[in-house]
Amino acid sequence: MQEYKRIEISKDQVVPIAEKMRKAGVGLAMIHGFLNEEGQMDVSYEYSVEPVIESYHVVGEMSIPSISEIYDQAAAWPERELNELFSVEFEGLDMSKRLFLPEDMLETQGRGHIMVTPLSELVEKNIRKEE
Amino acid sequence: MSYIIPIGPYHPALEEPVHAKLYTEGEVIKDAEVFVGYNHRGIEKLATERNAIQTLVLVERVCGICSHSHALTYAMCVEQINGIEVPKRGEYIRVITAELERLHSHFLWLGIACHIIGHDSMFMHIWDERELVMDLLERLTGNRVNYAMVTIGGARRDIDDDLKRDLLKACDALMKPMDRIVEIALTDKTIALRTKGVGVLPKEDAVRLGAIGPHARASGVDVDVRRDSYCSYGDFKFDVPVVDSGDVFARVVVRALECYESIKIIRQALENLPDTPINLGNKLQKIQKGVAVCRHEAPRGQLTHMVVGNGSFNNYRLSVHVPSFKNTPTVPFMLRNNSVADAGLIIASIDPCFSCLDR
Repeated sequence: MQEYKRIEISKDQVVPIAEKMRKAGVGLAMIHGFLNEEGQMDVSYEYSVEPVIESYHVVGEMSIPSISEIYDQAAAWPERELNELFSVEFEGLDMSKRLFLPEDMLETQGRGHIMVTPLSELVEKNIRKEE
Repeated sequence: MSYIIPIGPYHPALEEPVHAKLYTEGEVIKDAEVFVGYNHRGIEKLATERNAIQTLVLVERVCGICSHSHALTYAMCVEQINGIEVPKRGEYIRVITAELERLHSHFLWLGIACHIIGHDSMFMHIWDERELVMDLLERLTGNRVNYAMVTIGGARRDIDDDLKRDLLKACDALMKPMDRIVEIALTDKTIALRTKGVGVLPKEDAVRLGAIGPHARASGVDVDVRRDSYCSYGDFKFDVPVVDSGDVFARVVVRALECYESIKIIRQALENLPDTPINLGNKLQKIQKGVAVCRHEAPRGQLTHMVVGNGSFNNYRLSVHVPSFKNTPTVPFMLRNNSVADAGLIIASIDPCFSCLDR
């Protein structure tokens, strides 16, 4: 079984940790993100400190310094993905172009992700309107 | 003269939907951009409405080539959160399926590379041998794709003595055609002319851009997650082929040599199959509260799954990142200063799976 180590950090520690890891030749496995049950953004930086995955979590921040200067595209792509998916701002990240979303949406839909209303909510809203 | 040449998202030189913009000076590519996102299927969102067994079926559909890798990595995540120890025999069967999958994936890529190069007789020869591997997978799992071999807590089907004998025989039978394929790949003039010095990715750039898998190993980066001994990989002796030149030819060589290592692993796993149950016979379990991130060395490189559980049957969040997500950003760097005619081959040389990437 692979080992997984969770460490909580503040957003100010993101860049120093990335610099330390890059210097030590440790690879950035991935940057993940999800909204936790309290509705807070949980962004985690997974480093492969073989054979352990060290996972540094930043919780409750919607604006985090980018590490794309340190890890180049290996960090820029996951950061761009998180920006499109959850509107997390990565300070210093070049977001002039879309990654997964269509390019023309930049003009028409503004920044961040497009809110897709769940069908159940839409039905509820429509019923209320009819009433 | 400067031109912007668009390729794709649907183009005869590409096997999958991706869009590339080539900024050229005459015939030479000066810069390039790659655009993805043409095949989004909402798999991660769907997974939040599924329990662990249903999700195994779902994640297998992320990719038609490395479907077992997805099911395996997802199962490892759930087992990590729930603290499930998989029986050794189950792990060995998972490894055998994973290595057969690697063989068929590498044969597939080698065939496609030869097809793009214009060596179609080699393409047909390689795909003919791939059929043998596909037959083995069908015999082992009951399916040619989406093998459904993994279950939470082990493997779904056992290997009996007859099947074991046949698989070992097939490993021997594969050696002769593989020797021939490797010999042709390493000595053929057409392959050498189209691949040597083409699409070079130096080691420093591969490290900086985060390349992984055979693509990184062809640039001299010695990485392989299988060394971490997950899923009993520590029980087997195998080498990790690494080549320094970083061109398309190196990628052909690395993948061809990796086929031998996969056969080595399959043979060791079959000969030493432990006498334990294949799975724990678990009933459907709730996914405990917690986060797990697991990696597996899929045929194209390191595959990462993250599962977040909240104590219910369904996944709270599933995040899938395939090797192409890490390797695709290297493509613009490889395209620079190459001929437009080689663009299709260079893009294909990372063994991309854009449908996987878009999920």
